Amino acid sequence: MVKLSLVGMLRRSLVHRRARSISALVAMTVSAGVATALLTLYADLDAKLHKEFRSFGANIVLSAPASAPLPTNALARVQEAAGPDALAAEFAYAVATTDTGTPVVVAGTDFAAVRRLDSWWQVQSWPDATATDAALLGQRAAQFIGNEHAVALTFAGHSITLNGAGRIKTGGDEDSRIYMPLAAFTAWAGVGPSVIELQVPGGAAKVEATMARLRQEFPEMQVQPVRQLVEGESKIVDRTHALMYGAVLLIALTVAVSVLATLSASVLERRRDFALMKALGGSQMQLMGMFLLEALVLALAGVAVGFVVGSAAAWAISEGNFHTATLPRPSVLPLVLLLNVAIAAMAALFPARVLRGLQPAALLKGE
Amino acid sequence: MFFRLLMESFRRQRRRKMLAGVAILLGTTAVTAMLALATTIGDRIHKELAVYGANIVVYPKADLLDVKVGGVDLKPASGGAYLKESELAKLKTIFWGNNITGVSPELPALMAIARKAGDPLIAVNAVGYWFDHDFNTFKTGAPTLHPWWRLEGSWPIPRSNPDSRSVVVGTNLAKKLGLKIGDTFVTQGTQSAPSSRLTAIVAGIVTTGGEEDNEILLTLHDAQAYVGANDAVRRVEVSARTKPEDAFARVDPDSLSPKQREIWYCRPYANSIAYQIREAIPGAQAEQVRRVEQSEGNVLKRISGLMWLISAAALLAAGFAVSAAMATAILERRGEIGLMRSLGASKGSIALLFYAEAGLLALIAGTIGYLLGSGLAAWLGARIFAGDGVAAEAVLIPVLLPVVVALALVVAIAGSSPSIRTALRMDPSTILREDA
Repeated sequence: MVKLSLVGMLRRSLVHRRARSISALVAMTVSAGVATALLTLYADLDAKLHKEFRSFGANIVLSAPASAPLPTNALARVQEAAGPDALAAEFAYAVATTDTGTPVVVAGTDFAAVRRLDSWWQVQSWPDATATDAALLGQRAAQFIGNEHAVALTFAGHSITLNGAGRIKTGGDEDSRIYMPLAAFTAWAGVGPSVIELQVPGGAAKVEATMARLRQEFPEMQVQPVRQLVEGESKIVDRTHALMYGAVLLIALTVAVSVLATLSASVLERRRDFALMKALGGSQMQLMGMFLLEALVLALAGVAVGFVVGSAAAWAISEGNFHTATLPRPSVLPLVLLLNVAIAAMAALFPARVLRGLQPAALLKGE
Repeated sequence: MFFRLLMESFRRQRRRKMLAGVAILLGTTAVTAMLALATTIGDRIHKELAVYGANIVVYPKADLLDVKVGGVDLKPASGGAYLKESELAKLKTIFWGNNITGVSPELPALMAIARKAGDPLIAVNAVGYWFDHDFNTFKTGAPTLHPWWRLEGSWPIPRSNPDSRSVVVGTNLAKKLGLKIGDTFVTQGTQSAPSSRLTAIVAGIVTTGGEEDNEILLTLHDAQAYVGANDAVRRVEVSARTKPEDAFARVDPDSLSPKQREIWYCRPYANSIAYQIREAIPGAQAEQVRRVEQSEGNVLKRISGLMWLISAAALLAAGFAVSAAMATAILERRGEIGLMRSLGASKGSIALLFYAEAGLLALIAGTIGYLLGSGLAAWLGARIFAGDGVAAEAVLIPVLLPVVVALALVVAIAGSSPSIRTALRMDPSTILREDA
């Protein structure tokens, strides 16, 4: 008689009932895949959401007191204090008179920086970065200007004629202002920048920390958060996070119970096999061990396939929804493995109660 | 006979039915909960985004240019145009009137105040607002549109006494003047009569992180009396539920064909609501606040997109799980199939019996799952979005019931189909011998 090794029995058990093995494997793969996809997305969620919130623009405003303008290297120092991924733009303001004699706020700034910072501005065409005399006219301010192409402004007796590049529309204070390049503004009005608008990515804690650093660096300046933005962002990110957490748990539970059902059905269906093994002298422990091993092999195979499938799904979801890729995260692997093994172990041990009460003779007789 | 078989099968094989039933139940619970959350997430997030304030501003078309730098308004106090407060009621009558969730008119004024009678006067900005004003069926005003304002004390109350007014003072100004809640100070009585005096009582102190920290906030009525312009407002902030902007929203409605224009008009874009406000209030210019509106649309789209995709994942997972469970259930009962066939049952009638069982199971478990899922979604929603003052909303979404049950039916029948077919194809005697 050929002596069956444990591995041989396992192999036969898996191969012989192929349909059953495949359906169990599919269930384990789905559970691992869903867990991988959701955990990968979940780990990336905060960063992705904070990125979306960047479109709201500046969340910190630094303003210099009227008596002392900003030091010349202020922007570089602010950028350094806030980190490389923060966006900053400086503004200088003066009240000038237009060619129709209306007072208007003229702001000097760096168009390239503003364009990145304030993506919600609706601008017909951004002026060329090299143009020194280009001007953007707020849509309300434009109504008080005689000639929109050659904008003549007077400030403290100095006049300047700017080349109107187009109108901006924001629905805010910007609509009543005229924007021009900072260098030309300083040369004309003799006023340096007084305000730096800063956009720090991240939640309230990060904004607070950056503000504390800035206050230390610039004790003479007023550092103010744009409160509604900072508070709103944290609140929404937290809520979405919690929602996603709920969804992950819910789906994981569904999949787990279904896998449990599939696997334990397979145990119960093979009561006859167990009765036979028991009748031939197998102990309860041996039988359970055998079964556990089978479930674990299926679970591991499920994790291997599921991780690939789940990472692909996470990538597709974030590419489709956030337009940025989410790379596979090996760090979720231990958790997925743990989850799958736990499900498999439970599925194998769940019917133990039924098997313990098994009377081999009665079952084999067909009762 | 058929029904008896069906009933007996449910009565006797309770454990086997339980397995498949629990799988369907959980699948439908998860799918219902996710779909219910996904369909309501837009409204919920919109409510959260209300913290960003108004998304539409209305101002008089003929107004002078704002000359505001660093919180100092250099605009000439006289002149300028006003909107009429009484005309704001027309906001309710526009096509998307029901989507307007908040209205806050304001009237700024330059006021001279002193800590005590006899002290030199100093000039401060004062703004008149609505506080808890009855509008349509809801109460609205500056506090609801600026939820980030922090108030100590209470908002100004309309006074019957003509000699004093109740005001709220910005925190910086209060610090500068040493004012506390309940203190009184002296203000100029009206703008036109510089020597008249009135007493103001500090009802509260507000922290906003903005210009209001240096201002005095009073009721709109008091501000109108002070400026001497009855019924006047300078600017109105409107918060409306809108549909995120798309390419169609940006077109100029006057360039569209009448039919297209009607479609544009009847969609709740910020642009079309602004357009309707311009139509309703003569002399008014309404604009969307792009900083709020554009970014809100973005965030809303991403989050609800995420929820829908997660729902799709839940659907897929539940589908797999249910069909695996159904396949298992059939596989277990090959012996029965063999017996029925050897007793002379046709393949069709056996298949019908099994499909009927699967269908009945899906129907029952699906309905219970729908109820459980709806409850779960309501519970999750209430927990996560707690404390927003969200009115109790309908827990059950009836539309989902047929959708979810139909899905359960399709998945259960599709899942059991391959195993039924395999079992029927096998020779009954082989099955029976294998079973014995």
